[in-house]
Amino acid sequence: MTLPKTIDPASPITSVPTARQHERALIDRVLGGDRSAARALYDAHVDRVFRLAYRLTGDDDRARELTQDTFIRAFDQLARFRGDSALATWLYRVTITVASNLRRRQQRRDRELDLDAAGALATDGPPVAEPDLRDRMAAAIDALPEIYRTTFVMHDVEGYTHLEIAEVLGVAEGTCKSRLFIARGLLRKALAPFVKE
Amino acid sequence: MHDDPFEPPLADAARRYHEPPQLDEPARDAMWDAIAHAQFGATERRRARWTPGWIGLAAAVVLGVALGRFTPLDAWLHGGRRVANAPTAVASAPAAPPSVPAVYESTTSQYLGQTAALLLALPTEVHAGRADRQFIGRAQNLLLTTRLLLDSPAGHDARFRGLLDDLEVVLAQVVRMQSDPNATDLDLITQALEQRDVLPRLRTAAADISAD
Repeated sequence: MTLPKTIDPASPITSVPTARQHERALIDRVLGGDRSAARALYDAHVDRVFRLAYRLTGDDDRARELTQDTFIRAFDQLARFRGDSALATWLYRVTITVASNLRRRQQRRDRELDLDAAGALATDGPPVAEPDLRDRMAAAIDALPEIYRTTFVMHDVEGYTHLEIAEVLGVAEGTCKSRLFIARGLLRKALAPFVKE
Repeated sequence: MHDDPFEPPLADAARRYHEPPQLDEPARDAMWDAIAHAQFGATERRRARWTPGWIGLAAAVVLGVALGRFTPLDAWLHGGRRVANAPTAVASAPAAPPSVPAVYESTTSQYLGQTAALLLALPTEVHAGRADRQFIGRAQNLLLTTRLLLDSPAGHDARFRGLLDDLEVVLAQVVRMQSDPNATDLDLITQALEQRDVLPRLRTAAADISAD
């Protein structure tokens, strides 16, 4: 098998270590207290961290809080980053962990509210406007169990590969594929009454 | 042409699900200010406006949490309730919580004191139009500290968990006032404080820590 002529077989081998070495140098400077290096790392990753945070929270304020918390945790624990994976992968892992903690606390608070009263209000009459299919889809994704929602959001929404998701979540690639399959199945089931076959 | 009728709506939903806005420069800088403050203790452009006390507080919480993994802090926080998972030697320990390690005691006292002071001052500051970025910044820093504590062993302790949860909600409300503090926002926060009985519980918790 021959490679296409447009691809330089040497480039992945030389460019990846260079990028990693540059990143490692920045990390070392941050660990030495260099704020400009921290800002450089922040600038390099904040957009994708914020995108992921927004996809997971659906709220601008919460996404910003989550992004801030992620970087604060990440800088705080940077000495423990060994470089086995890309820094971006590690940052997404921190994002998912922080988001999960926030969501769990939110759910605990929700459980403490008087949901019976809210339920009675919700069933008292028909909604003012029937939600359209897009709203139903968003609600169905929101309602997915967390491990499936995270996998669905990262793969189908944000375009991460199974390998990347597996690294971020610390699971096998097969587990990631299986979770995505289940997530899609749950969404199909939730939407079946509204989609004409 | 799609054979599967679910594919187009699924793909469309995936594309539109919580579609993020573009992160503009002011938002990017504001987040960096908070991060730099937490990490380095000062911002690049508004160094003089930050509350110096918070720097040590955040560092002490992080240090306290780190130390807690290796000191009796964990045992104190969990009292006798960790016995099932603990080695046999620990299982025979008395159920009463041991004294609070000094690093954690002073940090938590300081955190509770600063939070109480901020919440007590809130109505006056809003009415006087002084709930500015510096004030909101203090709330933001306390919110970050609250979250650090919630994710620490303290967050699993029944004596603190509920209070920290409620403080997280209230401080998040304060932080979200930042663009245009008004009477309605203040009413909502006051209601949350009263319904959750936050200030008396704060005082009780501070007194408990001091007593330990």
